[in-house]
Amino acid sequence: MVKHLIPNTLNEALEALSKHPYQIIGGGTDAMIQYRNHSDLSPRFKAHVMYIMNLKALQGISSNDAAIIIQSMTPLETLNSHALVPPLLRKVILEMASPALRYVATLAGNIVNASPAGDALVPLYLWDTEVVLQSHQNSRKIRLSECITGPKKTGIRADELLTQIIIPKHDESGHYYQKVGGRRADAIAKISFAGTYKINNNTLTDIRMAFGAVSATIVRQRDIENMIIGLNINDLSTKIEQLQAAYAPYIQPIDDQRSNRVYRKQVALNLIADFINHIIKEASRP
Amino acid sequence: MHKDISQSIHKLDAHARMQGKAQYVGDIDIKGMLHAITLRSPIAKGIIKAIHYPPLPSGYTIIDYRDIPGKNFVKMIFEDWKIFAEDTVEHIGEPIALIVGEDKRVLYDIHDKIICDIQPLEPLFSYQKSVIDYQFTKGNPDPVFKQAKKIIKETYETGYQEQAYIEPQGFIGYPETAEKVTLIGSVQCLYYVKNAVVSALDTHPDNVRVIQAAVGGAFGGKEEYPSLIACQLAIAIRKTQKPIKLIFEREEDMSVTTKRHPSKTTMEAAIDADNNIVGIRAKVALDGGAYIGLSGVVLSRALIAVTNAYTIKHLAVSGDVFKTNTVPNGAFRGFGAPQMIFAIEMFMHHLAKQLNQDPYSFRMQYLAKQGDQTSTSGLFRDPIIMPKMIQKATEMAQFHDKVKAYKTMPNRGIGMSYFLHGCGFTGSGESTHINAQVKLRKDDHDHVYILVAAVDMGQGAKTTLIKIVSHTLEIPIEQVHFDYPDTDDVPDSGPTVASRTAMIVGGLVNQAALEMKSLWQSKTPLEVIKRYKQPEWIVWDEKTFQGDAYPAYSWGVNIVEVEVSPITYQVNIIGIWSVYDVGKALDETIVLGQADGGTAQGVAYGYLEVMVHEQGQLKQKNMTDYIIPTAVDMAPTQTHLYDNPFALGPYGAKGAGELTLVGGAPAVAMAIEMAIKKPIKKIPATPEYIMELMHDDDH
Repeated sequence: MVKHLIPNTLNEALEALSKHPYQIIGGGTDAMIQYRNHSDLSPRFKAHVMYIMNLKALQGISSNDAAIIIQSMTPLETLNSHALVPPLLRKVILEMASPALRYVATLAGNIVNASPAGDALVPLYLWDTEVVLQSHQNSRKIRLSECITGPKKTGIRADELLTQIIIPKHDESGHYYQKVGGRRADAIAKISFAGTYKINNNTLTDIRMAFGAVSATIVRQRDIENMIIGLNINDLSTKIEQLQAAYAPYIQPIDDQRSNRVYRKQVALNLIADFINHIIKEASRP
Repeated sequence: MHKDISQSIHKLDAHARMQGKAQYVGDIDIKGMLHAITLRSPIAKGIIKAIHYPPLPSGYTIIDYRDIPGKNFVKMIFEDWKIFAEDTVEHIGEPIALIVGEDKRVLYDIHDKIICDIQPLEPLFSYQKSVIDYQFTKGNPDPVFKQAKKIIKETYETGYQEQAYIEPQGFIGYPETAEKVTLIGSVQCLYYVKNAVVSALDTHPDNVRVIQAAVGGAFGGKEEYPSLIACQLAIAIRKTQKPIKLIFEREEDMSVTTKRHPSKTTMEAAIDADNNIVGIRAKVALDGGAYIGLSGVVLSRALIAVTNAYTIKHLAVSGDVFKTNTVPNGAFRGFGAPQMIFAIEMFMHHLAKQLNQDPYSFRMQYLAKQGDQTSTSGLFRDPIIMPKMIQKATEMAQFHDKVKAYKTMPNRGIGMSYFLHGCGFTGSGESTHINAQVKLRKDDHDHVYILVAAVDMGQGAKTTLIKIVSHTLEIPIEQVHFDYPDTDDVPDSGPTVASRTAMIVGGLVNQAALEMKSLWQSKTPLEVIKRYKQPEWIVWDEKTFQGDAYPAYSWGVNIVEVEVSPITYQVNIIGIWSVYDVGKALDETIVLGQADGGTAQGVAYGYLEVMVHEQGQLKQKNMTDYIIPTAVDMAPTQTHLYDNPFALGPYGAKGAGELTLVGGAPAVAMAIEMAIKKPIKKIPATPEYIMELMHDDDH
């Protein structure tokens, strides 16, 4: 018999987790689909279930000098209208799922689901986001890119809860985002791309790019970004092909019911060029 | 009273539906009811060696072909579609048995323990095995092609389309007596279901009663398919003598029910020395799937639509339905016409370009006129107002300015389709196969009841039919009633298909109302029955495809404007403008609703909706993977209706349900073609396909 637990406090939740593994339900917008049963029958959970959406300690958004801290059960729709949340993330959230779903879905859910096509993961990778994993006796902070280990796989232990998402403050001149889905709203990405950049005196002082749905996990390569950091804006256009060639080995999409690898790869490469051209265009504005 | 019937009223079922009060099959429970789930073939083709069932708990039953009292086929046109697989399986998902019992958990447990010993055979997926072939000619095509200065040939392909009704297929039924079975279902055609069940049970027609529940969308998907599961359920009810509910899961529904036929059409045009089209040869291939079902009738409509809204003097038309080991394909709004209209519209467009002529003035020259011969050498008897409609559409869309501008502006395009749709059953179907009958009953309070088998599946039949009676009898709407039909109570007015409900059923209802009016005596009960009589000037030879294929035609113009991203190859719809001639709108808002929905479904068929199979297994199984347009994907639509009353339609009405779908695909395809400067010969024109076309430059 599956046991259902609705803890009243975070401590109660962590204590229960220290004794037993649970299937954690936050917003439930992925889990309830993954464990769905035939109609009229209750979901096919494989473990005991813990519902944490009402834990006060896991709600809210705050910031310090270095970062924005998002408590893990804050619904996407709350993030969407919050001034502390980076505009790029808000733009991404606006294209995630349907409005009704965004009122219950969470950023943490998008992370622990660890889909290669997870929309919010793409900007979070750009910012070297960290997550706090808390257990009854301990707490550890790791990079999101280390937390997600493969498609649908994370390094979160059975006794841990993802409690916080820490987005380092990031100085940008501008950003760029493209979600390529089967339609313009309410679709799973065939490929997605986010980029940010910083320009100082016509020099590109920072650039970051992340790709979704083109590999087992989100693709971000600091070494390739470094290839063009420090360049004069006027020299950027000559580097597009080189950038595309550098990213090509990392872009290893699949054929599935939504699209095919040839398309995904070509569009990923096109988006690199479009992003660079976008930077050049923005930089040339008076 | 006496106001224009087109003037809209509130849709009469809207409140009940919006408030959740409408009773769909899923909402109906009967005490002591059992559930049924289906055991299906896991493979595309094979010989059934044995089905090993686990020991069944008490109260649980297996129903398979051995339980069928009558013949093992779903009575439609041919005796080919099995109720339950017997010796062989012909497609993935083919039903082998029902598992029936009280607790669904136990049913799935039994299901998962069943071992199907099926010897796999090599399945067929290509167009090789023709099971139906039709052909006809008009004029004298052979010499025309021999003498042609030039023959231009192109091939066009279309994909699957899923009806995507909101409510999946389902029935609930119960034994009314030991002999009589009653079925309540989500259906379009009560009498198709009844006749099929009578045949399956090998019983007297009085022993089968079919009642319509609220229907949550159908689009043709509930034309013939419900007959299959109704037969299965009736057999189970007969055997168990218990009420049973059989409702499909969404994924089950998408994987095993009928789709729009994929097609491949080769068009050839004979061109004379002055660059005129003098003849057309067309060869159509439809993928019928594992069983023929209605595929032959779908093929007929496709072939007859060969010249669409144009007149071409000499034609040689042929087509085949090919059997493949895939889910049987069947009825879908448009019924073969969307495939053919895509092919002919694109072909006319491509011909003009190959002959270095402006496509729109080129196509205009061939538009059919009143008095012209139809593709089957019948007659366009009624006025055709296409020039006026095209003029209106082009003004609304600023079409010609945009065509000029987009010659040089990259990534933008606009396209325009012309089309017609034959209203009612193809050929002599109405008189020989259907022979519709309607009844009006007045009670002693002067309330009038419409007794027809027509189904309101969201399209507005209830409102429309009530309006006709209210208008003709000059009594308030509230005094006219149209309840969910029940075959024990209503005569067979035919299926709710083929754009026939307003024109044919509505026409008969109107005649009945006129007669009732002439006999009207207040506070006295009265019944009036009307039966369809084919106008004697309609002559049709089913064997040679010669004569008047339809009593009337509705006409339309669609303009679609797009932007294509050179980065992601995605199509963004910017605007949709439409003009329709449906004779006379019986309710303007309802027709505009048909227009918006039909155009969305037709345009999406052209660029958005993707369904493919891999070794007979459909890859898109739910509404996440099968992409239909959201409100964000649809552009604002602007629609204009012209009155062009048809003498035999009620208040001049012709068909409106399918017309609005059939022109969407070519219009959007032409727009994309203009944006990317490459010919489109295949739909859906997905970003993946557009990328391939755009990258042809590199070679």
